[in-house]
Parts: sequence; C-alpha cells; structure tokens
Amino acid sequence: MSFFGFDTSRPGHNEGSGRDSRKKTSSNAKRAENPVDFEETYRGLGDYENEEDDYLNDETFGNATELGADFDFGYGKNEAEAGGHIDQQTVNRSYASAAASAGPGVMNTGYHAGPAHAMDDGMDFTPMESLWTNQPAIMSHQQHHQLQQHQALSMEELERQQHQQMQQHGYANMPPPAHMGYGYPPQAYLPPNVNSAGYQNIPQGMPQGLPQGMPQGMPQGMPQGLPQGMPQGIPQGMPVPMPMPLPMAGPPQQYQQSHVAMQQQHPPASAPQQPPQMPEVSSGTPQSPEVGQQHAASPSQLVAGKPPAAGNAASAQVLRSAHPAPIPRTQILTPDQDLREGTPRGSRRGSMRKPQEPLSQDEFRRLQVRQAKVDKILRHSGVMTPRDKDFITRYQLSQIVTDDPYNEDFYFQVYKIIQRGGIVSESNKGLIARAYLEHSGHRLGGRYKRADVALQRMQSQVEKAVTVAKERPQKNRENLDGAKEGVLGKISSARNSKAPRRQLQIPLQRDDDDDVTSSAIEDVVQTLNGVELSASSKARRRSSYAFRSVDQRAVLSRSGGRKFVLSLIEDVYAEVLELEAQLRSGKETDSSHLWESLHISDDAYEVSPFISILSFDKGVKIMPRIFNFLDKDQKLKLLYCFFSELSHLNIIVTSSYKTNSDPTDSQLKKLELFQSVFLKIIVSFLSSSAEFLEVLGLLLALVKNNNVSFISTSKIGLNLITVLISRAALIKQDVSRGNVLSSVEASSWNEIYDKLFTALETKLAVVFPPDEYTAKVVDTSSTGTVTSATVGQSNKHQFYDQSYIWQFLASLALSGKLNHQRVIIDEIREEIFGTINRAEQLMSTVPVEEQQIALYQRDKLYQDLNLFLNVMGLVARDGEISELK
Amino acid sequence: MLFFSFFKTLVDQEVTVELKNDIELKGTLKSVDQFLNLKLDNISCSDETKYPHLSSVRNIFIRGSTVRYVYLNKNMVDTNLLQDAARREAMSSRK
Repeated sequence: MSFFGFDTSRPGHNEGSGRDSRKKTSSNAKRAENPVDFEETYRGLGDYENEEDDYLNDETFGNATELGADFDFGYGKNEAEAGGHIDQQTVNRSYASAAASAGPGVMNTGYHAGPAHAMDDGMDFTPMESLWTNQPAIMSHQQHHQLQQHQALSMEELERQQHQQMQQHGYANMPPPAHMGYGYPPQAYLPPNVNSAGYQNIPQGMPQGLPQGMPQGMPQGMPQGLPQGMPQGIPQGMPVPMPMPLPMAGPPQQYQQSHVAMQQQHPPASAPQQPPQMPEVSSGTPQSPEVGQQHAASPSQLVAGKPPAAGNAASAQVLRSAHPAPIPRTQILTPDQDLREGTPRGSRRGSMRKPQEPLSQDEFRRLQVRQAKVDKILRHSGVMTPRDKDFITRYQLSQIVTDDPYNEDFYFQVYKIIQRGGIVSESNKGLIARAYLEHSGHRLGGRYKRADVALQRMQSQVEKAVTVAKERPQKNRENLDGAKEGVLGKISSARNSKAPRRQLQIPLQRDDDDDVTSSAIEDVVQTLNGVELSASSKARRRSSYAFRSVDQRAVLSRSGGRKFVLSLIEDVYAEVLELEAQLRSGKETDSSHLWESLHISDDAYEVSPFISILSFDKGVKIMPRIFNFLDKDQKLKLLYCFFSELSHLNIIVTSSYKTNSDPTDSQLKKLELFQSVFLKIIVSFLSSSAEFLEVLGLLLALVKNNNVSFISTSKIGLNLITVLISRAALIKQDVSRGNVLSSVEASSWNEIYDKLFTALETKLAVVFPPDEYTAKVVDTSSTGTVTSATVGQSNKHQFYDQSYIWQFLASLALSGKLNHQRVIIDEIREEIFGTINRAEQLMSTVPVEEQQIALYQRDKLYQDLNLFLNVMGLVARDGEISELK
Repeated sequence: MLFFSFFKTLVDQEVTVELKNDIELKGTLKSVDQFLNLKLDNISCSDETKYPHLSSVRNIFIRGSTVRYVYLNKNMVDTNLLQDAARREAMSSRK
C-alpha cells in the first residue's frame, strides 16, 4: 500500500495492499480521491479524530498490547511462496514506479515504519497468533545483516546472492536504492522482481534458486489457501512485508526506532489510524520524494530528541531492540501465508510475544543452528496443498486397495480368517486406512492430535481410492498414463496391482496346441473304437494291460499324455475354485462343468484321464474338494470308473511289491497321501451313502475289469478290496437283521463274492510281500517318514505292519462260507504259523533290556493274526492256536 | 497382488531378508506395500563384522527391488492356500 509508492492509476491494488483490508477498503476508497498531502497523512500521526470505521481498530489491531512492543512475526520464508507472484508483481510494479520518482531509499523506509507499528499493535490479533513463527531466527539474520557483526553466510552464499541480484537488476529496471528493503532474507525468494533491484549489500539468507522456482508453485497454493483466512487482504497484503527490510539501510533503522518511540507517546487509539493513511501517502506518488525526505528528517529528529525524552521503559526497550524492529514487518507475512497453506506452525508461537532481547553470541549461534534446521524443514513446506496431498494419497491408496478383496487379496483374507478362526474383526478398509496412517508417518491428527479424525479422513480416502480403483480399468489407459507419467513417478494403469509387470511373457497359444493334439488323438482313438473295440474287449484289454501299466509314462500316454493330464488337473482346480467362490457368495453351484473337466466318462482314451489325474499328488489332494460338489450319482460314477481301472492307477503300481520291489521314500509318501486322502473319501462315501447294490456294483467293476491278484499285491489295492467287501458284509448283516435282503441281492452278492474268490484262489499267499520287500520298506521309511511300517519305540525295532493283510483276510473270510475259509487257511497256513513263530522268537532272542519292545511287537503280531483267526472262531495265543471260547 | 497379499500375512513375523548386495538382515516385518518394499524392525545383520555400520540400525526400510530373498519360517506359510491363491491369480489373468 502506501509505503510502496503506489501506482495511483490502480486504486484496486493500493487498496488491497493494506494489511487490514477490512479497514482499508473503506478508508482508502474515501481518500483516494483527494490529493495527498504528507503533512496530513503523516506528521500529524495520531492527532486525527476518529473516523468512520475506527471503532473497528481495536478489534483489528488489538488494544491490549503495550505500545511499541516488538514482536516476532515469524519467519516469513514460505509466505512468499504462498503469496501469489501475480500480486507481487503488481505491487512491485507500482513500487518500482514509485521508486523511480522517489528519492533514495529513505522514502521507502518511511512508508514502512507506519505499518510496522500498526502491526505491532495488532499483535493481539488472536487468530494469527498461532501462525507467527520463529522470531529469534529472523532477528538474528537481521541483526547480522545490519551490524555486520556475525558472518552468518558463507562467502559463496553472499556471492551467489549478489549475483542473483545483479542478474535481476535489468529485469526490474529500478535504481537499487528503491529496493533497499527487499533484500530481507525471508522474502529473498520472492519473485525476482523483488530482489532484482537488489539491496546488494545485504547478505541475506536467500534460499537458493527460489526466485525462479517459486512462481510455479504459487498458483496452486494460493487459490485454495486464501479462502481460509483473510478473504481479500491477503494477496495484496503480502507484498507489504517486503519493503520492511529497508531498515537495514541504516537511516531507516533510526527512523523506525524513533517512530516506535513516537508512537508510544500517542494515545493508543491513534495508532490504528496509521494504516489508512498510508494509502494516501502512496497515492501521492509525485510527492513521494518529498515525503521521503520529510520522513527522513523526522526520524532523525526523533532519534535525536525524543527517545531520551520518552525515557520510559517501553521506549528503552524499543530502542534496544532497534535492529529487530524491522522483523515484525517481515513476519507479518507469516500469518497470511500460513493461512494460505494451512500449515500448523503453532509450535513456535511462544516466542512471538516476547519483546526482543539482545542476544548473546551463544544464543545467536544456537538460533542460527535452529534457523538452519527450520529452513530445511520449511523449504518445501506448503508446496502442496492439502488437496494435493489428498490426491496423492488417494492415488497411492488406489494401487493397494480393492473393492473385491476376496478375489484380489485372496491369500491374505483367507489366511486371516483361518488364523482368527473365521472371525473377521475389522473391515478391510479400516485396516488399510490405519496402516496407511501409521505407515506414512502422518502426524496423527495434526495440530489437535485428533487421531480419530485423521482416521476417519483416511477411511474416506480409502473409500475414494476404492472408487478410483474401480474406475481404473474403464479409463482410457493411454490418456491416463500420459497425463500422470512423470508427475507421480511411473504410473501405468495397465500395470497396476491387478496386473503387475511380468518378467516372463508366456505366449498363450498353448491352449490351441493342446486342442490340436488332443483332438488328433481323439480322432485316432475314435476310429480305433469304431473299428475294433467293443466295450467288453476294451475292458479285457485293460486288465491284460495291467502289467504294462508299470511304466507310468505308458499309462499317461494312453490317457492323453502327461501334459494333457496336468492341464486337466489345473482345469479341475479352476472349476473347484470357481465353485467354491460361488458357494461363498451364496450362489447356486452347478457342478456340470466340474464333472466334464474330470473326464470320467470320457471313452476317448484307453485309460481314463481321471485315473491319470490321481497319479499326481495335486490331483489326489483336490479330491475331497471335488467330492463336496458332486452329487451321489456323480460320485458313484466316479468310483465306478476308479475301481474299473484300478490296475492302471499309478499308486497301485508303485505300492505293489511285484512291480515296484524297491520303493523310494517319495513313493511311500505318496502312498501315505493317497491313503489319508482318497481312501478316506471312499470309506466315508461307502459308509454314509452307498446302498448295498452300489457297493456290489463297485466290487463287480473291480473284479471284472482288473487283475485282482495283481491288485492284491499292493497295499492300496488290498485296502480298497477290504473296504468294499467289509462294507458289503456290514450292510448285509444290518439288513439281514431286518430281513430286508432280497433274494436277488443275496444271490448277486454270492455271485460276486465267488468271482472275487476265484480270482484270488491259489494266489492268496501272494498278498504277503516277501521279506526283502518289507525290509526295504522298513529301511526306507526309517529315514523319518511315517509309512506302512509301524514304528516301535526305537528305530531299530521297526517292522513291517501286516495288519492290513490280516484285515483283508478277515473280511474275506467273514463274507465267505466255510469252504472259502478252509481254502484261505490252507493257502496261508505257512504265513499263520510263520507269524506265530516270529512272535515267539521275539521273546527269546532279544536282550533283556528290550523285552518291553519285544513284548509289544509280539502282542501286535498276535493281535493282527487273531483279527483273522477270530472270524473263524479261533485264537492264537502263546504259540498255539485254539478255539475261541 | 499375490505377493503383496502374501507378505501382508507375514507382518509382525520374523523374517530374514537377503539383499542383492549380499547383506542379510533378520528382523520383524512391520509393513509391506505393493512394490514389496519392506519395513523391518529390530534388525540384526547376520554378518556384523562385515557390515558394522548396520549394528547401530534398529529399523530399516528396504526398497523392494533390492531384495533377493526373503527367508521364512515354514509354518508361516499355508502352502495349500497359497496354491489356491496362485491358481486364482492365474485364472483371473487368463480371463
């Protein structure tokens, strides 16, 4: 405003540049019309009658403050950033013109002084209070500059500043003196114009590069921040501080001092009047030189005479703090700026109100250090507005949130559910919001430590981010990429969390290839079928192929090839996952696709692909989940297929001592897995939902299509047969109790049993694996895996667990007639006595200290044996077989 | 998203991170983001003599791209679930 020497042709600006726009607008408007007389405007300071709006003065400036008190208005660095450069330019221009016509810097000084005081008074202006900042630091700078006592700046810095100023000279077109004040450190980075004229001798702590860089940041920050605080005044008010530094020039200082002193003598009420007057002064541009001179004169007078006269403590203080005096003005900026930025800076508020004290060397140094730190912290503060920050936050969040956590965050979600036992405690969004807040080091709740508010805010951010994430795929990728690239780092909507960058690009033609090969095979197989293979001959072929199935690759190739089978397994998994997802979301599940993917009734291959699926661990593991979705009919079909082609089953082959006399550890593990997974399913299905005839059907399928004696050489095979016949026997007993078993059922049972028995007759002894084999299994499994061998108390005493064999024989004998039992006993007589002998020998051969273990083993052997013998009313005890009583 | 999802379940567990410059750090995983940047707390370096400067560091932020391995305790991983998750991921990308 007035202190700058205003361009009268632009009243609007003049008006605005006032510190208190509310006030100035009115008074300014009024006065703008009259030519300005310095005598009126200045010298009679405080003598005016109250004017129209003067009743507002107290409110505006406060009235509780001691006159002449010095305040620290904070460190005005960033305000400059915040203050629109546009305004600055404008102001600057007017200033420049004023300067051109004005005398030496003195004039500027004069203008300054008034407002400064006004501001001092205004210290009580509570809303701003919190925004003032580090006076001491500023002060130190100031002091430094003025007195040249402390070399706060390095030579390089000085040079750089001077250089900058020099450069800007031309730009501003102004005589240096006019700008004297501008060199003030905090504002150093104000637009070049400000510095341009450069008060060259002032070594200021001009942040490097700021003059150029700043303007860019401005436009954004300003518009948003402004509304918060001082509605109109800010943009114009901003520049005001700039001239402040003038005092450094020397004379101005004095003037200021005196001015302060003078003010003290006036009634407080008069002080507020000053600001309004200022515009007038400025408007009288032509006069300004004069004014300046007068100014200069009056200060000196004052300095000479008044201070001593004033003599009161306050003025003394003021005098003492002569150097700092300019400070307040610079810092006047701070409030504006702070408002604009919305940055809480309350922390340093405490220092603001204290009158300045001279600083000791130590203090000064400390302050310098502190100032350096503050500089560092504040350098980029306010570059982004809260809205900018929100935007960034949202963008970052949108990369990690999802509206579909179950699909996109599957592992985490399910894992947590499993861990917590099915209880989902907090919403996904809440979790993310909290994590993000903690993670990002946001000061929780900001100035008021309102963590809950911050959390809410962040949650709403997450909400928005989810929306962004939802919209993401729909947006035009190219546009989005182009717009944000480089601003927020590399952002690619094509490469978001859903579709991360892939190191390996796998061509997706594979599916086509498979189609080709499989269809080719199908063609061949179908022609073969048409030519020769009737259903029965096919079945025959299958059983006769049993031993060729030892080569697993052959089996796989006959069911479509390893690759095909593996892809089938994946298809099955995909279907199951799909169905499970549907189940979770409460939809109806349709297992027809799953059924198709199992290829159970697929006759295109010699060996059903389903059997080959069971050759792989992952194929076995998925079975329980498949069974969840199949209906009874499908399960039955599946098992029918399974039992029909049992000979081809890889696990039968590897668990048979005939085809695999040297089982490896991993094979034994597979066996274990199959037993614990698939056998379990069969047992539970048979015992829960299978009808008698269905069990018979499965048994028939097994007997008819397979080499039963081969299957019986494998542990799994024997287990399966045992399961079937024992289940059938159980149902028969149950049913016979109720006398419901029809003659058809009974006769078909007898028929099937006869078939089975015929297949096994004369080969019953082979169900017992040879000693070498059992020894090997024990040996292999003793390396730590749990297998078919029963582990005794110590590794040394492991032995092959034959209980499954005795179970089989027992169930066989149970369902057979007397002559069947006789045949069985005849065939395995050696084994029975062999077992008894082994049991007895155990006791006699082992050393005394291992009697316990031997005793256990002996009991176990008898127990297993008696499982079978008991069926026929016999019992083996202490080396002898007797009738069970 | 799978790895992000996976590592999220390891938060607050102790892991050992081997960096591409051979430094091995053991610490409690505090957080992970979509770049698999890691934040470790209470770290200890497996080779204190070679990297003495790390002995004074309590917590550390590791850029995801510098990680070579993360060693886990076997029981921190639900392999079956992980297989399912991987399959789902593959399925969704195929669609």
